[in-house]
Amino acid sequence: MERALSSEVVPVSVGSGGPLDDFEGLFEQYRPRIFRFILASLRNKESAENLTQDCFVRAYRARDRLRGASSAGTWLMQIAANLVRSHEANGRLKFWRRTLRADVDLSDAADWIPDRHMSPEQMAAAKQQVEKIWNVAGRLSGQQRTVFLLRFAEDMDLLEIAAITGMKEGTVKTHLFRALKSVRTALEEQGK
Amino acid sequence: MSQHLSSQQILECLIGAGDPEVQRHARECAACRAEMGSIAQPLAWFRISVHHAGERGMRNAFATAPVLLLTPASLDRAWYSNIIAATREAIHPPKLPPLEVTSKPVPVKDIWGFYGGQKKQAGLSSIAIHVTVVILLFAIGANKTIQKVVKQQIDLIAPDIAPYKPTVKKDQMHGGGGGGDRSPTPPSQGKLPKLSNKQFVPPVAVIRNPDPKLVMEPTLIIQPDANIPKINMDALGDPLAKSRQASNGTGYGGGIGTGHGGGVGPGSGAGYGPGSGGNMGGGAYKIGGGVSPPTLLFKVEPEYSEEARKAKFQGTVVLFVVVDENGKPRDLKVIRPLGLGLDQKAIEAVEKWKFAPGKKDGKPVAVQATIEVNFRLL
Repeated sequence: MERALSSEVVPVSVGSGGPLDDFEGLFEQYRPRIFRFILASLRNKESAENLTQDCFVRAYRARDRLRGASSAGTWLMQIAANLVRSHEANGRLKFWRRTLRADVDLSDAADWIPDRHMSPEQMAAAKQQVEKIWNVAGRLSGQQRTVFLLRFAEDMDLLEIAAITGMKEGTVKTHLFRALKSVRTALEEQGK
Repeated sequence: MSQHLSSQQILECLIGAGDPEVQRHARECAACRAEMGSIAQPLAWFRISVHHAGERGMRNAFATAPVLLLTPASLDRAWYSNIIAATREAIHPPKLPPLEVTSKPVPVKDIWGFYGGQKKQAGLSSIAIHVTVVILLFAIGANKTIQKVVKQQIDLIAPDIAPYKPTVKKDQMHGGGGGGDRSPTPPSQGKLPKLSNKQFVPPVAVIRNPDPKLVMEPTLIIQPDANIPKINMDALGDPLAKSRQASNGTGYGGGIGTGHGGGVGPGSGAGYGPGSGGNMGGGAYKIGGGVSPPTLLFKVEPEYSEEARKAKFQGTVVLFVVVDENGKPRDLKVIRPLGLGLDQKAIEAVEKWKFAPGKKDGKPVAVQATIEVNFRLL
């Protein structure tokens, strides 16, 4: 299937020099990350798929503009973050987002097994905690959520996040701090 | 630093922004590590969960790089550029290099008809055959014996259309008239007077008033197209009478004959013949053709005869009746008898009936009618 598709298309020739020589390799490498981030942001599988494709299309169209300074991953993530923001801002989709959201990924997200050596009670507690974090992340504002997800789901450092979001490092820190505070509050509420 | 970290410092550590000292403390101090872990552990789990969800979501996702399906950049133009290019081409068509014809026409065989290369001969022989056939046809047609044979074979059959012709019911006239002036001799033979719808003066064979003040032509009330007996005589009279001696007859009421009422003949009324009420031919008017039927006003139920009751006999008696100008039934005859005395009972009952008389031209006239009398045992 994939072979057939790629054999039909026009061979893509990208200008020499730069990380975009092998766009397919780039796609394979970064797609999980981009998809994961968008899915966690929007909690809708279809939107996530669409936006992931959009992200790579944009990247391909704008490949000449990629500076050597930022890595391809950062650049792609930047596009993804922008896409998520514009998607959220799209008023026409608000209603559908409301109806489609939440139930999609929470079931998927709760399906993981944290540690095989945990007792069922511990596992249940862990799952509850994770669910709480998911909920909190859903309630965060757009910027806070993006920053939070990049930091704690994608394990990026503050400078990278600052480059992706286009914010100053201090601003990123503030957003993260607030997001983490609400997470802690939620976890403490549950602990009581 | 022996002091434990504040909650803010712990969060800073988690973010990865704390001072090196604070971070070192967080690594070394068990209590602080535990407190950090209470948030860090769920966050780690969250990370795993997000990765898990991502993997699951990707499982069925479209797995080809979308750019590989894109058209090359040379074709990837904005939508308006196409329109501009098309407009420009329409106004200033670009000069194209002269067309290079790379193929040459090849002679091919004629595909129409199989003349074997002798087209002229084929045409001539075709004309010859056609002319021969036409001449042959004319020659055969001109032959006299053949013409005769063809003529003999023609049989014209006149179909018998009699069964399909509508049977015209003959308009039988009914009615009649009669008259006379009570003279002792029978009515004399003569021609009938003029036929008319009205009668002012009855016809007479013997003129009693030789000097009338107003002369009117005598008429009989008979429809003008009636087929009256013609007789070649000048004097008025009954065409069927035998006496030649002029007489108005033994009847009364004017007219000629043995009846009464101003007509000619043995009947009554101003017509001719044995019937009554005008017209001719005998009998009363029939319903229809301007004659309205009489309507029943008063009715007496017929009695059952004793025999019929005992025999439990039922049926219908059909009576012929003439309803006269006064609406009284007379001349009752049984058309379809039933027997067992029921016919007589029916006649007895119908004789007591009373009708509104049938009318012709607004005047009551005697009308023939048939009456069905049902005898039913309840």
